[in-house]
Amino acid sequence: MGRERAGPADDIAGWEIQLRKGALSLAVLAILWPGRLYGLEILKRLSADAAMSIPEGTIYPLLNRMKAEGLVDSEWVEADAGHPRKYYSLTEAGRRRARDMAAGWRAFARGLDGLLGPLFGDKG
Amino acid sequence: MSKDAGQAHLDTYLAQVHRHVRGLPDAEVREIVAELRAHVLDKLDGDLTPAGVEAAIAGLGAPREIARVNITERVVARAEARRTPLSVLGGVVRLAGLSVYGLFAFLVSVLGYLSALAFLITALIKPFAWDHAGLWIVRNAPDDLIASWHLGVTDNPRYGHEILGGWIIPIGIVLSLVFAWLTWRFDIFSLRLMRRRARRGR
Repeated sequence: MGRERAGPADDIAGWEIQLRKGALSLAVLAILWPGRLYGLEILKRLSADAAMSIPEGTIYPLLNRMKAEGLVDSEWVEADAGHPRKYYSLTEAGRRRARDMAAGWRAFARGLDGLLGPLFGDKG
Repeated sequence: MSKDAGQAHLDTYLAQVHRHVRGLPDAEVREIVAELRAHVLDKLDGDLTPAGVEAAIAGLGAPREIARVNITERVVARAEARRTPLSVLGGVVRLAGLSVYGLFAFLVSVLGYLSALAFLITALIKPFAWDHAGLWIVRNAPDDLIASWHLGVTDNPRYGHEILGGWIIPIGIVLSLVFAWLTWRFDIFSLRLMRRRARRGR
Protein backbone atom coordinates (compact mmCIF):
# COMPACT_ATOMS: atom_id res chain seq x y z
CA MET A 1 0.00 0.00 0.00
CA GLY A 2 2.65 2.45 1.12
CA ARG A 3 4.70 1.48 -1.85
CA GLU A 4 1.96 2.42 -4.30
CA ARG A 5 1.79 5.92 -2.88
CA ALA A 6 5.51 6.44 -3.33
CA GLY A 7 6.08 9.57 -5.41
CA PRO A 8 8.48 10.11 -8.30
CA ALA A 9 11.17 11.36 -5.87
CA ASP A 10 11.02 8.05 -4.02
CA ASP A 11 11.23 6.17 -7.30
CA ILE A 12 14.41 8.04 -8.21
CA ALA A 13 15.87 7.47 -4.74
CA GLY A 14 15.10 3.75 -4.94
CA TRP A 15 16.62 3.54 -8.41
CA GLU A 16 19.80 5.27 -7.21
CA ILE A 17 20.06 2.84 -4.31
CA GLN A 18 19.82 -0.11 -6.71
CA LEU A 19 22.42 1.48 -8.97
CA ARG A 20 24.88 1.98 -6.09
CA LYS A 21 24.26 -1.51 -4.78
CA GLY A 22 25.19 -2.99 -8.14
CA ALA A 23 28.45 -1.05 -8.12
CA LEU A 24 29.35 -1.77 -4.48
CA SER A 25 31.83 -4.57 -5.02
CA LEU A 26 33.57 -2.64 -7.81
CA ALA A 27 33.80 0.38 -5.49
CA VAL A 28 35.36 -1.72 -2.71
CA LEU A 29 37.88 -3.25 -5.13
CA ALA A 30 38.75 0.23 -6.44
CA ILE A 31 39.16 1.61 -2.92
CA LEU A 32 41.60 -1.20 -2.11
CA TRP A 33 43.54 -0.72 -5.37
CA PRO A 34 46.22 1.64 -3.97
CA GLY A 35 46.90 -0.45 -0.87
CA ARG A 36 45.61 -2.20 2.23
CA LEU A 37 42.89 -0.66 4.41
CA TYR A 38 40.83 -1.73 7.41
CA GLY A 39 37.02 -1.94 7.59
CA LEU A 40 36.20 1.49 8.96
CA GLU A 41 38.50 3.19 6.43
CA ILE A 42 36.76 1.35 3.60
CA LEU A 43 33.37 2.46 4.94
CA LYS A 44 34.55 6.06 5.19
CA ARG A 45 35.93 6.08 1.66
CA LEU A 46 32.70 4.52 0.35
CA SER A 47 30.61 7.18 1.97
CA ALA A 48 32.91 10.17 1.26
CA ASP A 49 34.07 9.37 -2.28
CA ALA A 50 31.25 7.30 -3.74
CA ALA A 51 28.23 8.53 -1.72
CA MET A 52 27.65 4.89 -0.82
CA SER A 53 26.48 4.61 2.74
CA ILE A 54 25.86 0.97 3.52
CA PRO A 55 24.79 -0.40 6.91
CA GLU A 56 28.07 -0.59 8.83
CA GLY A 57 27.49 -4.16 9.92
CA THR A 58 27.27 -5.40 6.34
CA ILE A 59 30.80 -4.43 5.24
CA TYR A 60 32.50 -7.29 7.10
CA PRO A 61 30.34 -10.09 5.67
CA LEU A 62 30.94 -8.52 2.23
CA LEU A 63 34.72 -8.47 2.76
CA ASN A 64 34.57 -11.99 4.10
CA ARG A 65 32.77 -13.13 0.96
CA MET A 66 35.33 -11.40 -1.26
CA LYS A 67 38.01 -13.18 0.72
CA ALA A 68 36.28 -16.51 0.23
CA GLU A 69 36.20 -15.76 -3.51
CA GLY A 70 39.95 -15.11 -3.40
CA LEU A 71 39.63 -11.44 -4.36
CA VAL A 72 41.06 -9.99 -1.16
CA ASP A 73 43.40 -11.14 1.56
CA SER A 74 43.39 -10.05 5.17
CA GLU A 75 45.87 -9.83 8.01
CA TRP A 76 45.74 -8.66 11.60
CA VAL A 77 48.17 -5.86 12.33
CA GLU A 78 49.11 -4.47 15.75
CA ALA A 79 48.38 -0.80 15.15
CA ASP A 80 49.55 2.34 16.95
CA ALA A 81 45.93 2.78 17.99
CA GLY A 82 46.53 0.29 20.81
CA HIS A 83 44.37 -2.48 19.36
CA PRO A 84 44.89 -4.82 16.44
CA ARG A 85 43.20 -4.04 13.14
CA LYS A 86 42.31 -6.36 10.32
CA TYR A 87 43.66 -5.00 7.05
CA TYR A 88 42.34 -6.03 3.65
CA SER A 89 44.33 -5.98 0.43
CA LEU A 90 43.69 -7.07 -3.15
CA THR A 91 45.03 -10.39 -4.33
CA GLU A 92 46.23 -10.86 -7.90
CA ALA A 93 42.79 -12.28 -8.73
CA GLY A 94 41.22 -9.25 -7.07
CA ARG A 95 43.26 -6.87 -9.20
CA ARG A 96 42.27 -8.78 -12.33
CA ARG A 97 38.61 -8.69 -11.28
CA ALA A 98 38.83 -4.96 -10.54
CA ARG A 99 40.33 -4.26 -13.98
CA ASP A 100 37.72 -6.40 -15.74
CA MET A 101 34.82 -4.83 -13.86
CA ALA A 102 36.19 -1.33 -14.44
CA ALA A 103 36.49 -2.02 -18.17
CA GLY A 104 32.91 -3.33 -18.21
CA TRP A 105 31.74 -0.26 -16.34
CA ARG A 106 33.54 2.12 -18.71
CA ALA A 107 32.09 0.45 -21.79
CA PHE A 108 28.61 0.50 -20.30
CA ALA A 109 28.86 4.12 -19.17
CA ARG A 110 30.20 5.24 -22.55
CA GLY A 111 27.32 3.56 -24.35
CA LEU A 112 24.76 5.03 -22.01
CA ASP A 113 26.34 8.48 -22.25
CA GLY A 114 25.85 8.33 -26.01
CA LEU A 115 22.17 7.55 -25.48
CA LEU A 116 21.80 10.34 -22.95
CA GLY A 117 23.43 13.00 -25.13
CA PRO A 118 20.16 14.20 -26.72
CA LEU A 119 18.64 14.69 -23.27
CA PHE A 120 21.20 17.38 -22.63
CA GLY A 121 20.85 18.97 -26.06
CA ASP A 122 23.98 17.42 -27.59
CA LYS A 123 23.83 16.88 -31.30
CA GLY A 124 24.04 13.21 -32.03
CA MET B 1 35.71 4.68 36.05
CA SER B 2 33.78 5.88 33.04
CA LYS B 3 36.29 4.16 30.82
CA ASP B 4 35.70 0.87 32.65
CA ALA B 5 31.94 1.32 32.27
CA GLY B 6 32.42 1.95 28.54
CA GLN B 7 34.63 -1.13 28.25
CA ALA B 8 32.03 -3.19 30.13
CA HIS B 9 29.29 -1.93 27.81
CA LEU B 10 31.32 -2.96 24.75
CA ASP B 11 32.13 -6.36 26.28
CA THR B 12 28.43 -6.98 26.95
CA TYR B 13 27.53 -6.10 23.37
CA LEU B 14 30.22 -8.36 21.93
CA ALA B 15 29.23 -11.20 24.26
CA GLN B 16 25.69 -10.95 22.89
CA VAL B 17 26.98 -11.04 19.31
CA HIS B 18 29.11 -14.03 20.28
CA ARG B 19 26.07 -15.84 21.64
CA HIS B 20 24.03 -15.17 18.52
CA VAL B 21 26.69 -16.34 16.05
CA ARG B 22 27.34 -19.52 17.99
CA GLY B 23 27.07 -22.45 15.64
CA LEU B 24 29.56 -21.06 13.14
CA PRO B 25 33.05 -22.57 13.41
CA ASP B 26 34.92 -21.27 16.48
CA ALA B 27 37.63 -19.57 14.43
CA GLU B 28 35.01 -17.61 12.46
CA VAL B 29 33.16 -16.60 15.62
CA ARG B 30 36.40 -15.27 17.15
CA GLU B 31 37.22 -13.45 13.91
CA ILE B 32 33.79 -11.78 13.71
CA VAL B 33 33.87 -10.61 17.32
CA ALA B 34 37.49 -9.42 17.14
CA GLU B 35 36.79 -7.42 14.00
CA LEU B 36 33.68 -5.79 15.50
CA ARG B 37 35.71 -4.88 18.59
CA ALA B 38 38.37 -3.24 16.40
CA HIS B 39 35.62 -1.44 14.46
CA VAL B 40 34.07 0.04 17.60
CA LEU B 41 37.45 1.03 19.08
CA ASP B 42 38.38 2.73 15.80
CA LYS B 43 35.12 4.68 15.82
CA LEU B 44 35.65 5.73 19.42
CA ASP B 45 39.16 6.99 18.77
CA GLY B 46 40.01 6.76 22.48
CA ASP B 47 36.66 8.05 23.77
CA LEU B 48 35.74 4.91 25.67
CA THR B 49 32.77 6.39 27.57
CA PRO B 50 29.46 4.53 27.80
CA ALA B 51 27.81 7.20 25.64
CA GLY B 52 30.56 6.94 23.04
CA VAL B 53 30.34 3.15 22.98
CA GLU B 54 26.56 3.32 22.74
CA ALA B 55 26.75 5.61 19.70
CA ALA B 56 29.35 3.39 18.01
CA ILE B 57 27.44 0.15 18.45
CA ALA B 58 24.18 1.81 17.41
CA GLY B 59 25.80 2.23 13.99
CA LEU B 60 26.51 -1.46 13.79
CA GLY B 61 23.04 -2.58 14.80
CA ALA B 62 21.54 -5.02 17.29
CA PRO B 63 23.59 -8.15 18.08
CA ARG B 64 20.84 -10.29 16.63
CA GLU B 65 20.93 -8.41 13.31
CA ILE B 66 24.72 -8.47 13.12
CA ALA B 67 24.60 -12.20 13.74
CA ARG B 68 21.89 -12.72 11.12
CA VAL B 69 23.87 -10.97 8.36
CA ASN B 70 27.06 -12.83 9.23
CA ILE B 71 25.48 -16.25 9.54
CA THR B 72 23.33 -15.83 6.43
CA GLU B 73 26.28 -14.71 4.26
CA ARG B 74 28.43 -17.64 5.35
CA VAL B 75 25.73 -20.31 5.27
CA VAL B 76 24.53 -19.26 1.81
CA ALA B 77 28.10 -19.03 0.49
CA ARG B 78 28.80 -22.54 1.73
CA ALA B 79 25.57 -23.91 0.24
CA GLU B 80 26.20 -22.09 -3.06
CA ALA B 81 29.69 -23.53 -3.33
CA ARG B 82 28.41 -27.07 -3.82
CA ARG B 83 24.70 -26.63 -4.46
CA THR B 84 23.90 -30.29 -3.88
CA PRO B 85 20.36 -30.89 -2.54
CA LEU B 86 21.85 -31.89 0.81
CA SER B 87 24.10 -28.85 1.23
CA VAL B 88 21.30 -26.52 0.11
CA LEU B 89 18.83 -28.17 2.49
CA GLY B 90 21.44 -27.90 5.25
CA GLY B 91 21.59 -24.15 4.63
CA VAL B 92 17.80 -23.82 4.83
CA VAL B 93 17.75 -25.78 8.09
CA ARG B 94 20.51 -23.58 9.52
CA LEU B 95 18.63 -20.36 8.67
CA ALA B 96 15.19 -21.62 9.74
CA GLY B 97 15.35 -19.97 13.15
CA LEU B 98 16.62 -16.57 11.98
CA SER B 99 13.51 -15.14 10.33
CA VAL B 100 9.86 -15.83 9.62
CA TYR B 101 10.69 -16.52 6.00
CA GLY B 102 13.42 -18.90 7.13
CA LEU B 103 10.87 -20.94 9.04
CA PHE B 104 8.48 -20.88 6.08
CA ALA B 105 11.21 -22.08 3.71
CA PHE B 106 12.11 -24.87 6.11
CA LEU B 107 8.50 -26.09 6.38
CA VAL B 108 8.02 -26.01 2.60
CA SER B 109 11.26 -27.98 2.17
CA VAL B 110 10.18 -30.65 4.64
CA LEU B 111 6.80 -30.94 2.93
CA GLY B 112 8.40 -31.08 -0.52
CA TYR B 113 10.93 -33.78 0.29
CA LEU B 114 8.41 -35.83 2.28
CA SER B 115 6.06 -35.77 -0.72
CA ALA B 116 8.90 -36.90 -2.98
CA LEU B 117 9.71 -39.68 -0.55
CA ALA B 118 6.07 -40.80 -0.30
CA PHE B 119 5.71 -41.10 -4.09
CA LEU B 120 9.00 -42.96 -4.37
CA ILE B 121 8.22 -45.43 -1.59
CA THR B 122 4.75 -46.12 -2.96
CA ALA B 123 6.17 -46.78 -6.42
CA LEU B 124 8.83 -49.12 -5.07
CA ILE B 125 6.45 -51.06 -2.82
CA LYS B 126 3.72 -51.48 -5.44
CA PRO B 127 5.16 -54.68 -7.05
CA PHE B 128 5.32 -56.38 -3.64
CA ALA B 129 1.95 -55.20 -2.30
CA TRP B 130 -0.09 -54.89 -5.45
CA ASP B 131 -3.50 -54.69 -3.75
CA HIS B 132 -2.51 -52.40 -0.91
CA ALA B 133 -0.07 -49.86 -2.30
CA GLY B 134 -1.06 -46.97 -4.54
CA LEU B 135 -2.94 -43.73 -4.73
CA TRP B 136 -6.45 -44.10 -3.33
CA ILE B 137 -9.58 -42.02 -3.17
CA VAL B 138 -11.21 -42.90 0.11
CA ARG B 139 -14.77 -42.17 1.26
CA ASN B 140 -16.37 -42.81 4.62
CA ALA B 141 -19.68 -43.83 3.01
CA PRO B 142 -20.56 -44.87 -0.55
CA ASP B 143 -22.42 -41.62 -1.27
CA ASP B 144 -20.07 -39.43 0.72
CA LEU B 145 -19.29 -36.30 -1.24
CA ILE B 146 -16.15 -35.68 0.71
CA ALA B 147 -13.30 -37.86 -0.39
CA SER B 148 -9.74 -37.90 0.81
CA TRP B 149 -6.56 -38.89 -0.95
CA HIS B 150 -4.43 -41.60 0.42
CA LEU B 151 -0.95 -42.27 -0.87
CA GLY B 152 1.06 -45.27 0.20
CA VAL B 153 0.06 -48.55 1.75
CA THR B 154 -3.49 -48.88 2.98
CA ASP B 155 -5.87 -51.60 4.18
CA ASN B 156 -8.51 -51.99 1.51
CA PRO B 157 -11.04 -49.30 2.40
CA ARG B 158 -14.70 -50.32 2.23
CA TYR B 159 -15.59 -47.32 0.15
CA GLY B 160 -13.20 -45.84 -2.29
CA HIS B 161 -10.95 -47.10 -4.98
CA GLU B 162 -7.43 -47.08 -6.14
CA ILE B 163 -6.60 -44.94 -9.12
CA LEU B 164 -3.57 -45.31 -11.41
CA GLY B 165 -3.09 -49.05 -10.66
CA GLY B 166 0.29 -50.16 -11.99
CA TRP B 167 0.85 -46.69 -13.44
CA ILE B 168 1.76 -45.56 -9.93
CA ILE B 169 5.20 -47.07 -10.54
CA PRO B 170 6.36 -44.83 -13.41
CA ILE B 171 4.19 -41.88 -12.38
CA GLY B 172 5.30 -42.15 -8.74
CA ILE B 173 8.96 -42.19 -9.71
CA VAL B 174 8.56 -39.22 -12.03
CA LEU B 175 6.53 -37.23 -9.47
CA SER B 176 9.05 -38.02 -6.78
CA LEU B 177 11.83 -36.61 -8.97
CA VAL B 178 9.70 -33.57 -9.83
CA PHE B 179 8.92 -32.84 -6.16
CA ALA B 180 12.56 -33.27 -5.15
CA TRP B 181 13.77 -31.04 -8.00
CA LEU B 182 11.20 -28.32 -7.26
CA THR B 183 12.08 -28.36 -3.56
CA TRP B 184 15.78 -28.12 -4.38
CA ARG B 185 15.19 -25.11 -6.67
CA PHE B 186 12.93 -23.52 -4.08
CA ASP B 187 15.66 -23.93 -1.46
CA ILE B 188 18.27 -22.25 -3.68
CA PHE B 189 15.84 -19.41 -4.40
CA SER B 190 15.07 -19.05 -0.68
CA LEU B 191 18.71 -18.93 0.36
CA ARG B 192 19.43 -16.15 -2.13
CA LEU B 193 16.32 -14.25 -1.05
CA MET B 194 17.33 -14.49 2.61
CA ARG B 195 20.82 -13.25 1.78
CA ARG B 196 19.42 -10.24 -0.08
CA ARG B 197 17.14 -9.45 2.83
CA ALA B 198 19.89 -9.81 5.41
CA ARG B 199 22.13 -7.44 3.45
CA ARG B 200 19.37 -4.88 3.35
CA GLY B 201 18.90 -5.28 7.08
CA ARG B 202 15.44 -6.77 6.78
